[in-house]
Amino acid sequence: MSPFLFWIFAGLMLVFGAGVVLNRNPVASALSLVVSFLGLAALFMSLDAYFIGIIQVLVYAGAVMVLFLFIIMLLDLRAEKLRKINWLASAGGIAVAVALSVQILYVIGNFRFSQQPFPPLARSTVDDVHHVGSLLFENYNLPFQIIGVLVLVATIGVVVLSKRELR
Amino acid sequence: MDYFLITTSLLKILGILFVIILPMVSYTIYAERRVSAFIQDRVGPNRVGPAGLFQPVADIAKLLFKEDFSPRNANTFYYWLAPCLALIPAIVTFAVVPFGSTLFGVPMVIADINVGILFVFAIASLGVYGIVLGGWASNSKYPFLGGVRSSSQMISYELSLGLAVIPIFLVVGQLRLTDVVRYQIDHGWMIAPFLGDWTNPAKWLLAIPMLVSFVVFSVAIFAETNRLPFDLPEAEQELAGGYNTEYSSMKFGLFFLGEYAAMITGSAIVVTLFFGAWHLPIPSWHGGFHWALIDGSGDGWRGILGGLFNIATFFAKVAVLLFVFIWVRWTLPRFRYDQLMRLGWVFFFEIALVNIFITAIILAYYPA
Amino acid sequence: MYIELLKLASPETVVVVTALVVLALGLANERTAGLCSGVAAAGLLFAVAAVLMLPQQATLFHGMLVITPLTSLFKIICLVLAFFTVILARADLSSRNRGEYLALVLLATIGLMLLVGSEELLMIFIGLELTGLSLYVMAGFDKTDVRSAEAGLKYFLFGSTASAFTLFGISFIYGMTGTTALAAIGQKLTTAPVQPLLFVGIVMTLIGFAFKIAAAPFHLWAPDTYQGAPVPSAAFIASGSKVASFVVLGKIVLVGFGPAQGSAAWHAMVAGWAPVLAALAALSILIGNLVALAQTNVRRLLAYSAVAHAGYTLLGLVAGGREGFSATLFYTTVYAFTLVGAFGVVALVRRETGGDDLKNFSGLSSRSPLLAGCMSIFMLSLAGLPPLAGFFGKFYLFSAALRAVDNNGLLWLVAIALFGSLISLYYYLMVLKVIFVDEKSSSTTQPLNPSTSADFLQEISLTVLAAVVLFLGVMPGTLVARIIAAVQ
Repeated sequence: MSPFLFWIFAGLMLVFGAGVVLNRNPVASALSLVVSFLGLAALFMSLDAYFIGIIQVLVYAGAVMVLFLFIIMLLDLRAEKLRKINWLASAGGIAVAVALSVQILYVIGNFRFSQQPFPPLARSTVDDVHHVGSLLFENYNLPFQIIGVLVLVATIGVVVLSKRELR
Repeated sequence: MDYFLITTSLLKILGILFVIILPMVSYTIYAERRVSAFIQDRVGPNRVGPAGLFQPVADIAKLLFKEDFSPRNANTFYYWLAPCLALIPAIVTFAVVPFGSTLFGVPMVIADINVGILFVFAIASLGVYGIVLGGWASNSKYPFLGGVRSSSQMISYELSLGLAVIPIFLVVGQLRLTDVVRYQIDHGWMIAPFLGDWTNPAKWLLAIPMLVSFVVFSVAIFAETNRLPFDLPEAEQELAGGYNTEYSSMKFGLFFLGEYAAMITGSAIVVTLFFGAWHLPIPSWHGGFHWALIDGSGDGWRGILGGLFNIATFFAKVAVLLFVFIWVRWTLPRFRYDQLMRLGWVFFFEIALVNIFITAIILAYYPA
Repeated sequence: MYIELLKLASPETVVVVTALVVLALGLANERTAGLCSGVAAAGLLFAVAAVLMLPQQATLFHGMLVITPLTSLFKIICLVLAFFTVILARADLSSRNRGEYLALVLLATIGLMLLVGSEELLMIFIGLELTGLSLYVMAGFDKTDVRSAEAGLKYFLFGSTASAFTLFGISFIYGMTGTTALAAIGQKLTTAPVQPLLFVGIVMTLIGFAFKIAAAPFHLWAPDTYQGAPVPSAAFIASGSKVASFVVLGKIVLVGFGPAQGSAAWHAMVAGWAPVLAALAALSILIGNLVALAQTNVRRLLAYSAVAHAGYTLLGLVAGGREGFSATLFYTTVYAFTLVGAFGVVALVRRETGGDDLKNFSGLSSRSPLLAGCMSIFMLSLAGLPPLAGFFGKFYLFSAALRAVDNNGLLWLVAIALFGSLISLYYYLMVLKVIFVDEKSSSTTQPLNPSTSADFLQEISLTVLAAVVLFLGVMPGTLVARIIAAVQ
């Protein structure tokens, strides 16, 4: 894909990702996250990973975020009140975040591979859906099944924690 | 840059949008009114043009010139955004549907991607945003209830929708929609495998889960498009019209268009998956009886006519399904909300799940 | 291949099936709570048997599931810890939602077993998440107590941030080495020079584990979670989760990042993970011990002492090598059993007096000599006094650290640890002073709950735990020999 499109989608992701945090209206935050996910999906597709990209849209934008929106609306969350910002704490947080990013960027900048262009990816001869499928059910069979257990844990947790106790 | 590809794609997009979908939407609305009138022993719209055929034009003119009213406490940005979000996904979904064979050697599908059906689901699942936001941004009680109902309904039925198609892809082995069509040309339609190795009993055994899939899928499509008997989000008697109550003029029109466009897309997907898409077998007695295949591969006029015939076949099939949609709407009563949820989660979800296993077992016993 | 997988993962399978059965039983009827505990305990014992029947050596999917004597030993230890947690839960929790709670304990145990039994970063991450997710819910399980909610939320927020860092770090490592198998990563690092970017990945990966073992400065969740969570949850978080995390942390740094060890020696610091762990250890020892001095709540005190103990335990990894790793493993095992016992006493005192502040323990020796005796064994072992297991564990750790680097390079770290132990003596003895010397305060005369058969069972298990701690102190060789034999 052309670098032009990459920058568009990457920028879209970052801008709307920041929007998630900065927006005070929870609905706006949720929708920003949806757009951010769409940008991510586009980036996946640009790497010929159509399957992952589409799943990203289907699962996150299409299902998870709809449920988020649903809950935000049901709970009738209003826009967050402007509260006094604790300048010291925010400054500290920003300083730590900036320091970490600068360190990482510095290391990446001095990294030998980062100065040379990335070799073009070998064009996969296998359909990426087949590829993902066979990997998932052969090499990564065990993690795949464990993820099932993980989802079970999440289900139990949600039900237990959100169930109203009858007294 | 491949300019040929871009030009033909643009032509296909414009053609499908302005020559086929939008007129089809208008005339589906017209058909809805005429058919409902027929079912209820009325006359229906018959004043504008011969047999009321220009009624859609009049409707659109009316919508455009109506006062565009928005409630004072509505959340303006989302209030405007919602109708667009309702219409766009329904149309974008058409990008991967193979609506014809080839025309002038160009395949009649806009984007033949290898995850076609997932693309359909992914984009269709975005359609719910328009409805939810419309209901929420109106800042009004009934629309809000409509929006909430719709989101929970769509999410519930998306599961059955997704699970119902898995057996098909187990059989075909590909997620690409053109491959599904190719399979159906070689082996017969999904629900009626009368072509190819049709004497093989395994093929007919497989048709049973396909039939189950078809039923589950179409019911789920009814729920996804908020059509009766599942039109709870816009149940007039309960919600005064539902999520679009506060909308007027063309914004209301966009919701309306979106709903019918979703119906057309849904029918198109059903046709593609279960009824052989653009394929219509013609009985032929040249050298013994067989089913002849008409497609756009011939030379000159033969090819062009064949291609056009395929497109026409596809949309004729879609039209038949649309008629069924309308027919159902005017003959069945509405479900109660809890019944709808129970049906989705307790009945169709399980059927679809079991169906996958049955298909897999049959395939394991009779490998292709 | 799938048959092989089923065979080698049979202990995990047994636990999963048990969890599902317990879940179904719990759904069936409120009154089946007792049965649930029984089934869960039986399932765990059955899983121990399954572990014993595993082959000596096996590996599957490039290290996703590895079976060695070491993994088998620690799978058994995790299962036994889960067993004691189940017994604790029987006494401490009301019978409401018991099935779900026990199922979560079992599912968390699966996470621990996978952590222990895997040498592959992807699988380790999934194990971490499985454990973490179950423990978050377990921490916030008591919905009648706002502290429990606080515990769950804090644990969750810190935990998810830490996992995000770990995942980010793992992605760096994968990007640099092109593999997620620990052995392959180690091989790659020996052949190619270690890149600075890899250090970023390693440090980020370590953050997740530092959170799990509650090492400072990633310990902030620990006091509130240990104090607020239901007692069995806190006990399991402090014991099982910690043991498994140390095992897998040791495997990651020694097997995976071995060539990038660097050196934490005083005069010859070399960049690598060892200085990072050394810094974590020093900070944990100092912060944990000093802050523990000021605590008035026993569970909070245990939390800060847990931070300090995480620091001691890291010493073995800083020292590296076979000896250091076995010292770490021995110490964390002993610590886990001691802490489960201590939490067991806390649970009973809490049941009796309605609280777990220091003052609730006053006069325990006259009310229940058995509990007081057990508690003194646990506390003295934590303080590291002979002839208890804690003493030998510390001795082994410190000597391993001293011997690891020439010229006593790690002497500074050992000195800090000794200093910390000295401080810790004060607050552990403080607890004992309250138990044995202080008069019973008048406010806590009314027992809340009459003692039941569950208490009896719990007292037996506490006695067993105290006996184990005493035994491992007198004859440490039994476990140490096994661990050394298992660590290659």
